[in-house]
Amino acid sequence: MPAVSKGGGAAGPSSSPASSSPGRPLRPSRYVPVAAATAFLVGSTTLFFCFTCPWLAEYISMAVPVYNGVIFLFVLANFCMATFMDPGIFPRAEEDEDKEDDFRAPLYKTVEIRGIQVRMKWCSTCRFYRPPRCSHCSVCDNCVEDFDHHCPWVNNCIGRRNYRYFFLFLLSLTAHIMGVFGFGLLFILHHTQQLDRLHAAVTMAVMCVAGLFFIPVAGLTGFHIVLVARGRTTNEQVTGKFRGGVNPFTDGCWRNVSHVLCSSQAPRYMGRRKRFQTVAVQPPFLRPPLSEAQLVAKVLDNGIQGDLHRSKSSLEMESQSADAEPPPPPKPELRYPGLARGQLSLAASEESSLLNKTPPTPTMYKYRAAYNSPSKSHTPLSQSYSSKMSRGDSLKESSSLLESSQQAAYRSEPSLDGCHGELGPREPNAEAPGPTAPGGGILGYSLGGRSFPSFSDPTVLSVAGSRSSSVRSAHAGHGVLGPPPPEGASSTSYQSLANQTPRSGSLSYDSLLTPSGSPDFEAAGPTLSPGRLRAPMHIRPLPHAHHPPVLGYSSPFLSAQLAQQRDPGLHQASAALLSSPRKAYLHGVSPPPTPMDRDPQRHPQHHARPLRFSRAPVLADSHPVAWARSLGSPDSPQGTVSPGPFPHRPPLGKSLSYSSAAAAEMQSRLVRKASAGAGIQAPKDEIQMKSYSRSNGQPKTGPPPSPHHSASSPSSPSHMGSPTPLTTRPGPANHSTSSLHSPTHKQGGGVKKVTGVGGTTYEISV
Amino acid sequence: MSIAHSFFPYKILVSSSPFLFECWTTHSLQDLRQQAPIAAKVFVQRDYTSGTICQFQTKFPATLETRIDKQQFEDTIRKLNSLYAEAEKLGGRSYLEGCLACLTAYTVFLCMETHYEKVLKKIASYIQDQNDKIYAPRGLLLTDPIERGLRVVEITVFEDRSTGPGR
Repeated sequence: MPAVSKGGGAAGPSSSPASSSPGRPLRPSRYVPVAAATAFLVGSTTLFFCFTCPWLAEYISMAVPVYNGVIFLFVLANFCMATFMDPGIFPRAEEDEDKEDDFRAPLYKTVEIRGIQVRMKWCSTCRFYRPPRCSHCSVCDNCVEDFDHHCPWVNNCIGRRNYRYFFLFLLSLTAHIMGVFGFGLLFILHHTQQLDRLHAAVTMAVMCVAGLFFIPVAGLTGFHIVLVARGRTTNEQVTGKFRGGVNPFTDGCWRNVSHVLCSSQAPRYMGRRKRFQTVAVQPPFLRPPLSEAQLVAKVLDNGIQGDLHRSKSSLEMESQSADAEPPPPPKPELRYPGLARGQLSLAASEESSLLNKTPPTPTMYKYRAAYNSPSKSHTPLSQSYSSKMSRGDSLKESSSLLESSQQAAYRSEPSLDGCHGELGPREPNAEAPGPTAPGGGILGYSLGGRSFPSFSDPTVLSVAGSRSSSVRSAHAGHGVLGPPPPEGASSTSYQSLANQTPRSGSLSYDSLLTPSGSPDFEAAGPTLSPGRLRAPMHIRPLPHAHHPPVLGYSSPFLSAQLAQQRDPGLHQASAALLSSPRKAYLHGVSPPPTPMDRDPQRHPQHHARPLRFSRAPVLADSHPVAWARSLGSPDSPQGTVSPGPFPHRPPLGKSLSYSSAAAAEMQSRLVRKASAGAGIQAPKDEIQMKSYSRSNGQPKTGPPPSPHHSASSPSSPSHMGSPTPLTTRPGPANHSTSSLHSPTHKQGGGVKKVTGVGGTTYEISV
Repeated sequence: MSIAHSFFPYKILVSSSPFLFECWTTHSLQDLRQQAPIAAKVFVQRDYTSGTICQFQTKFPATLETRIDKQQFEDTIRKLNSLYAEAEKLGGRSYLEGCLACLTAYTVFLCMETHYEKVLKKIASYIQDQNDKIYAPRGLLLTDPIERGLRVVEITVFEDRSTGPGR
C-alpha cells in the first residue's frame, strides 16, 4: 500500500515513549511508525554527514555536503508539513444543518460532476453528505477533504491541504536516499583498503539503510507521480473508482500537476476564529413584493423549509393527494412519522388492496437499478409526477413535486457499494417496517437473503437507486405484494444486491433483473468501499423477505390480471408484456394466465418463454440499460429489450444513472398508480405497476405509445401526460414507456390493459 | 405562544406560528445579540457540476421567496462564487507563493498570509457588507461558508413578528 513511505521499518526503535496525560486514551502504537521513520531519517543522515561528508568535501568539493544538506532540509521541511499540517478536516456539521436529514434522508446523494454521476455519502459521524473526494478517516475520525490516505509514517491523513507536502516529501526523500547511497558508494570505493575503519563501517551501514528504504520509497514515489498525473487520489485508485470509467476530477496531466504543486495553500476549516455577527437583525423586515407564483408557492409550501425539504414535503403532498383517491385497504405499518409515513401507508394500502397477500410476481418488484439517470431523466419523472398530481390536485402541487423530484434526484443515489449493505435512508426506522409482511418483502430484499429476493434484487437494486422517502414508502407498500419490492430508498441495498445477484447467474431471474455493470456505475463510484459500511443502520429487517419463487407466484397474479382486464387493449398490453423478455417472467411463472389469455397473441409468446429465460442474462444486461434509457430518452432504442411485463417499468428504469431520486419518484408514482384498477386510483396503479414491474425485473415500458389508449385506460388519465409508462397507460404520456415499447411492440396493436389482482391495471403494448 | 420542548440542553423548540416551523434557537446566538428569533435556516449547497472548485448553487431557495428578491440572492451567490474562483485560481501569484515557500522551507507561512487567506478575508468582508445592507434589513443573515467547511452557505431566516409568523 502506498501508505508505506518508508520501507518496512520493522526494527524501528521500539522505545517510543508512551508519555501521555493521565485519563487520555493513549495509543502508543500510532506513534511507532512515525518515530521509526523519523529516527531512520535523522539518524542515518546525521551519520552520513558526520562520517562520510568530511572526506567528500575535501575529495570532491564542498558542494557535495551543501547539496546533501539542502536536500535533507527539504526532506525535513516537507516531512514536518506532511506530519503536522491539517489535511483538510471538515468540522462537524452543526445540529441545525442536519436536523432535516436525520431520519428521512437517503444515505447517498447523487451529484453530477462534469456529466458523471458521483455519489455523496452521508457521514453519520460528521453529519453531512461528504463532498466529492472526501472520505472519513477512521484513524483520525474526521472527514478529510480530497482524502488521499492515512499515512502511518507521518501519523497523519494526507488530504487536500498537505498532499503537496507529502508528494514533495516523497520526491525529496527519493533524491536524498539516492544521494546518500551514491556518495556513500563513492566513499567506499575509495576506501576499499580501509573497510575496517569506523568511517567506512558507518558509511556501509548508512548505505545499507538507504538501499533498504530506497525500493519502497521509490515505488511509492512513482505511484504518486502517476496519481498526480492522472488526477486521482490514492483512495480512488485503490478502490477502483474510475477503473472503467472516466475521472471527473482530472483536467489533463499538466493542469493536474500544476494544481498539486502550484495552487494556493488551501485554508483550514478547523480552529478558525468564529466571526460573530455584528449586525442586529430586528423586525420590521423589508419584504419583496409577492408575485403570483410566490403566492401559489406559499400555499403549496405547507411549511417546507428549504430546498432540501422539498422532496420530502412534495412527496408528502403527493401522498395526500393520493389519499384523496378511494381509500386503499388499510395498511398497518407506518412506523415512521413524517413523510415516510405518508408514502408507506399509501403504498401499503395500495399494495394490500392489490394482491390480497398473494405473493406478487417477482418481476413486479423488479425495479431496475441503475438509476443513474442523467439530470434530464428527472424531468420526465417530475413531469409524470406533475401530471399525476395535477390529476387530482392543483398544478401547484405538481410544480412543487417537480421541484421536489428534481431535488430528490439530487438527494437520492443508489448505492453501488456492495459492502455497504446499507439500505435506504440512513436511519433504519425510516424504511418500511417489518410488521407489515408485505413491507417486509421490501426489506427482505435488502437483506438479500432470499432466493426469491435475488430475483427481485435487481428491482430492488434499481429501487435502491431511488432514495426518496416516497419511494421507500412505496416499496414498503410493495412489500405487501410479496417478494422483495425494490427498495428504492436503499441505495446500498441496491448495490449489495447488484453485487450479490444475478451476475452470478444464480437465478435466471436474477440475471434478468440485475443490470449489468454499466459504465455509469463504475464512473459513479467504487464498487467496494470497505471503509464505509454502515450496514447496521440501514439494513432493514426483512420480515418476510422470503418470497415465493417467481414462477410460482406470478400465475395467480397473471390470472387475476387477465380476469380483470377491462379493455381489449389490456389484453394487448398484457400480451405485449408477455412477449417481452421481461414478460417471460410473468409468463413463465404464471402458467395459468396463459390459457386465460384473451389475446391470442399471447400464445405464441408462451413458447418463447424458455427462450427468454435462457436469455435472462442478456436481458439483465439490457434491462437496466433499457430502463435507464427509458427514463431519459423517450425514444431511446429499446429494441433489444422488450418491454417488461409491466409497461410502467421503463420509467422506473433509468437504472443506469445514480439518480435514484428519479427512480424513487417513479416508483412512488407507480406505486400509486399500480393500485388503481382501470382508472380507479392512479396511486394504486402506480404501486401495482411498480410491483409488477419490479417482479419482472425489468422496466417494462407501458403499452405502445398510442395516445388514445391512455384515454381508454381509466387509471391513466392523469398519467397521460406523465412519463409513467408503468401504469396502465398506454403510453402517450410516458416517453419512456413509449420508448421502451416502440422497439418491441411498436406495431400499433395498441395497448392492452391488464388488470392485475387487486385492481391494478397496466397496459401491455401488443 | 411558544412551546418549549427541551430536547437538548441548549435547544428549544418554539412553535409560535401556524406553520409550525421548528425554530431552533441556540442560546449562544441569542445571548450574544438581541436578535429576532430564528424561524428557519436555509442551506445553499455546493454546486459540484464543475468539479471540486468551490461554487455554490445559485438556485433560489423556496424558503426565501417571500423574504428577498431572487435577483439579489443570485447576485450575492454569484459574487461569492467569483471570489472563491479567484482564491483558487492557478496563476502566477500562487505559483510564486509556492516557490517562495519551498525556498524558505515553508517558514514564510509564519509571517505571510497565503493568497487564499487574503481572498477569504475579502469574502468575509463582502458577506458582512451584504448582511448589513441587504440581508439584515430583510430578516436574513448570511453565514460565512468557511465556518461550515465551505460546504454550505447558511442563511438564517428570522421570524418576522411584525407581519405575522413564518414567511
